[in-house]
Amino acid sequence: MRKCYLGVDIGSVSTNIIVMDADEQILDTLYIRTQGKPIETIKKGLSQIKNRLDKDIEIYGVGTTGSGRQLGGIMIGADVIKNEITAHGIAALNFVPDVKTIIEIGGQDSKIILLRDGVLYDFAMNTVCAAGTGSFIDRQAERLDIPIEEFGKWALKSKSTVRIAGRCAVFAESDMIHKQQLGHNQEDIINGLCEALVRNYLNNLGKGKEIKSPVIFQGGVAANIGIKRAFEKILGYEVMVPPHANVMGAIGAALLAKEETAKAGESKFKGFEVADSNYTVKSFECEYCPNMCEVVEFRRDEKMVARWGDKCGRWSHDKTAKDEKLA
Amino acid sequence: MKIGIPRGLLYYYYYPLWRKFFETLGAQVLISKKTNKKIVDNGVKNTVDDACLPIKVYIGHVMDLKNQVDLIFVPKMMSIHKDEYICPKFCGLPEMVRSGIKDLPQMIDTTIDFHKSKKKLSKTVYEMGNYITKDRKKIDFAFEKALKEHESYKVQIKNGMLPIDLEDHKIFKNINLHRRKVKILLLGHPYNIYDAYLSMNIIEKLREHNMDVITQDSFDTKVMNEKAAIMDKKIFWSFGRKVIGAAFYAMEQKDIQGIIYLSSFGCGIDSVIADIIERRTRRNSDKPFILLTIDEHTGEAGINTRIEAFVDMIKWRGKNENNFSTYGKNLSTR
Repeated sequence: MRKCYLGVDIGSVSTNIIVMDADEQILDTLYIRTQGKPIETIKKGLSQIKNRLDKDIEIYGVGTTGSGRQLGGIMIGADVIKNEITAHGIAALNFVPDVKTIIEIGGQDSKIILLRDGVLYDFAMNTVCAAGTGSFIDRQAERLDIPIEEFGKWALKSKSTVRIAGRCAVFAESDMIHKQQLGHNQEDIINGLCEALVRNYLNNLGKGKEIKSPVIFQGGVAANIGIKRAFEKILGYEVMVPPHANVMGAIGAALLAKEETAKAGESKFKGFEVADSNYTVKSFECEYCPNMCEVVEFRRDEKMVARWGDKCGRWSHDKTAKDEKLA
Repeated sequence: MKIGIPRGLLYYYYYPLWRKFFETLGAQVLISKKTNKKIVDNGVKNTVDDACLPIKVYIGHVMDLKNQVDLIFVPKMMSIHKDEYICPKFCGLPEMVRSGIKDLPQMIDTTIDFHKSKKKLSKTVYEMGNYITKDRKKIDFAFEKALKEHESYKVQIKNGMLPIDLEDHKIFKNINLHRRKVKILLLGHPYNIYDAYLSMNIIEKLREHNMDVITQDSFDTKVMNEKAAIMDKKIFWSFGRKVIGAAFYAMEQKDIQGIIYLSSFGCGIDSVIADIIERRTRRNSDKPFILLTIDEHTGEAGINTRIEAFVDMIKWRGKNENNFSTYGKNLSTR
């Protein structure tokens, strides 16, 4: 039997699952779109991973992270449920022990994490706007009718700079159309978009922060080498992209799970059978006070597993199903 | 006679004073319910779109009271300190209430303006008291009692309690208050940080992570004013002065291990003050700082992630100071 650890990152855009062995080698990674259905996606992901794994592998620990970490953690039986900042930090440290800056750009959020002497020092996440995130590039790629996978390659072909406003996705779009009308090359415009995203990221998240080398670039957008080059051009030093850049959160969760189970002695993992169970979610508005909390009830094969969403704890602390009250 | 006091804006600083004053004059005082979804919804619906969330919530509190009371206390707060203002929106509060809500009971909309001096204080007090009695002696007596109440409230806060604890008389909870190891300074306008609904219960959330929460109100006013005076230009917003003073003071305190600034989206004062604090904190100290912005959204995932990561950061740093990794990898230092 090979001891392995599972890391699951349930994000707004993608759900990533990785399998790591006891020597912290990544055996398998899976990147699937969440598409707003986290439960279905986790089930799908787990059954895919299960079919792909060797038979002699046993899961010794599970960690979840990402905005759906609580839900995923309850579903799978996680040993560690950790916020994505810490998870990304841990994963990056494991890759480059003296990393000082982590640039993480995902589908709907972006983060900057600063580390000093191997310790989390400062961080920021994007606030109200998605202009500096993957969705921005996704949207523009669609508009230009270029597959997102080739976006970066196009940008590299650029010979001259076209400046596109990056502060706001809407402004950027009209700016881009204008530049197209002027007759600029496709590749220059694409490169301009990459630089616009980087400028926006640095002005927004990097504001007032000291970005020191070594810099690691991770998250789904790290696969776009146009953006990587734009970062290097503006920052003035090398930006490293780790081999599993798009699943670093999941790797961090697995590393934390390994550490946690070493302390706890055993895992809470509910097994891959989770994928075959039937999960139902019921939500209702609590009527006990004017807060009218939207309570979510989570059931596995008709058995209540957890409730959340209430402010006072009336429902979340009570683990017994009370069907009559919900009716 | 029944007087309603909306549980919003400066309520968290002055409710003992206001309540005692009106009660001593013989009125019955009704305070609106704690902020809840209905109050927020009502406020958002009946306030101009551009106003900040705390103003909208205040309007919601007025709505909560309006059918239950004879008089409603909505003072026109211009200035509470010499040469300082509060916030432009406070100056137009009674007008905003009046234009946003129909069928209001009579309002006590006395102007409180000590911008030039506090000479007008007694005139202001009589004006407020006149709604209930014309007897000046009675009003003087009531104000004296109210002041005493206010002083003892301030003392309790300086002793480390927070308005959020005193509100429910949760005295028992405070016994363990200072046993928590890590101190965090939570900055922000009182109506943001002490309103459990608006702040998404940030104080209790931090306490659950075993953090001792202190705020700008926990420090000595004199010390804070001295610190705030370091700025080249006087901060002419009362909140701003207080918050900046507290932040500058905290930067030098070893036992305070992090600063959180809670701001409501679109706040003009915070846009200046929070930025100054962030820059100075980074320049003059190595304390972690984070700015959290709140608005109407009820999804707590965003704020929870940031709080969790912030707490992780502090704990991780703390462990690292007295625990050196033996094998070069940083995993053991968490």
